Amino acid sequence: MTSLAIEVLDLGKTYSAFREKTVSALQGVSLRVELGTIFGLIGQNGAGKTTLIKMLLGLATPTSGAARVLGSSPRDPSTRRRVGYLPEQMRLPDYFQSKNFLRYMGRLNGVDRTVMKRRIPVLLERVGLADSRKPVKAYSKGMQQRLGLAQALVSDPEVLFLDEPTDGLDPLGRKDVRDLLVQLRTEGRTIFLNSHLLSEVELVCDRIVILNNGSVARAATPQEFTCGTGEYLIRVAAVDDAVRAAVAGVAGDAAAEWEQNALRFTPLDRAHLNSLLDRLRGVPVEIESVEPVKLSLEEFFLQVVSGQEP
Amino acid sequence: MFATYLNSLHESMSRRVALVLFGVAILIAIMFNVVVHVRTLPDGATMLAVGAQPPAPSAIAVPSMLESILRATGSLWMLLAIFAAAPLLTATLEKGWLELVFSKGTARWSIFLGRYLAGLTLYSLMFAVAMLPVALRLWWMTGIGTWQMGVALLIQTFGFAALLAVAALVTLPQKGVALPVIAAAAIWLLTPSLAMRQETFYRIFSSHFVRGIIDWAYRILPKCSELEDLCVSFVQGRTVTSWWPVWSTGAFTLIVLGLTLSLLNRKSF
Repeated sequence: MTSLAIEVLDLGKTYSAFREKTVSALQGVSLRVELGTIFGLIGQNGAGKTTLIKMLLGLATPTSGAARVLGSSPRDPSTRRRVGYLPEQMRLPDYFQSKNFLRYMGRLNGVDRTVMKRRIPVLLERVGLADSRKPVKAYSKGMQQRLGLAQALVSDPEVLFLDEPTDGLDPLGRKDVRDLLVQLRTEGRTIFLNSHLLSEVELVCDRIVILNNGSVARAATPQEFTCGTGEYLIRVAAVDDAVRAAVAGVAGDAAAEWEQNALRFTPLDRAHLNSLLDRLRGVPVEIESVEPVKLSLEEFFLQVVSGQEP
Repeated sequence: MFATYLNSLHESMSRRVALVLFGVAILIAIMFNVVVHVRTLPDGATMLAVGAQPPAPSAIAVPSMLESILRATGSLWMLLAIFAAAPLLTATLEKGWLELVFSKGTARWSIFLGRYLAGLTLYSLMFAVAMLPVALRLWWMTGIGTWQMGVALLIQTFGFAALLAVAALVTLPQKGVALPVIAAAAIWLLTPSLAMRQETFYRIFSSHFVRGIIDWAYRILPKCSELEDLCVSFVQGRTVTSWWPVWSTGAFTLIVLGLTLSLLNRKSF
């Protein structure tokens, strides 16, 4: 049995329309998503994220390469029965109420009526809509998003594709969704998450891919993305000429820059850092803190997409 | 497919166009029942009068009455019902909804076919609401069988299936409901002229080549007006001399619908 939930190999998609320029939405994208993990896909608008998700759901046909979900082609309806999807722009017809909407979505995925009778109230409870008796047309954006999550879960899927799942939710709602995602992972489900909220992706994902101009720019764990830059921030109680001279004496060719009482210092190695700290103590000056400087996922992402990759 | 079919019927009942058309169908049914008077003579024979017209024996008047009803409204319902049924097809391909339903474990063709069948059902129901009450009343009051109206309903639905198939095909490459409705209405308007092409198009075009094209258009396209004539033959109790309009329209519908479902299955969204 494969341990991969999703496997994408050299996937490409080109759009061409009559008398219009050919647009290459994806080029040579390859990635693997392990079962039971949360996988984050990030990228600028137009980077090809939604196109990739559409191909993984059999909605769009690749121009080149191949995609497999749970070991089979996503074009096969029996594969899609094992998958849940929350689209970025979901349109809910006015005539639905939450329960008959979920019932219809479940029927499309071949879920038995008796199973749905049990499952739907549980799902509505899980997404915080248990008390809602309103028709769908009266739902706020956040409520629609919660209902969208419930429909993605109605067939008890093994893999979930979530395109901007926290869009329209307030901070409390976003936290609820984050908790739900973690809970779903604990249950052994695989989640493919596409979100613009990088802080969220950083918090919940096991692995992240940055898509830039239709290709994979970087793939790593959040820890790898946000690991130290090699730079340290050393805060001291006060800076005078003696302190500056001590630093200048030790720093040598290494980068050292003062920002008021904080020194941004990139040592050659750990011994170099320790010798600087020893010298400062010898001045003497009180060292308040020494912190490795880390990039946030957002900073890392911005560097990648602007071509200043660290 | 059945889930989509039921859902589409539910959806159509929430649309204003369908509700208005059902209202009109009910009004037509009431109107027919108001203007038709059945009188029983002392010898037990029945006479039928329409409005202020002199009464006629039921054996003659009932088929004539049914023909009038069919001629007056039968074909027109096709045109009106397209306005109610075409949105069921175009709504399937609306952004935000198509991603939701086509990502589920049901084949696209099955979802679309379910909605197509719901459109046909909608038409049949409207037709039945407008026509069948008066047919049943006439049968009840005169004892003359009006089951032919049931056959007429089936034949008319068959003709509507061809128009809806055209609307379905036109739905695929574009957004919006206008073009599918226009395409189906254009076919509906064109077919009587094509059926009488010797009296219409042949007078305008003398070229053999153009006339050849017109002949082929007649052979290929559905024959809604001839299907209506077929319905009239049935209610009049006449023998049907040619089944050509039925099978050629059936072939057209199957080919267009098959092509639509095949293109939909291959389409990249």
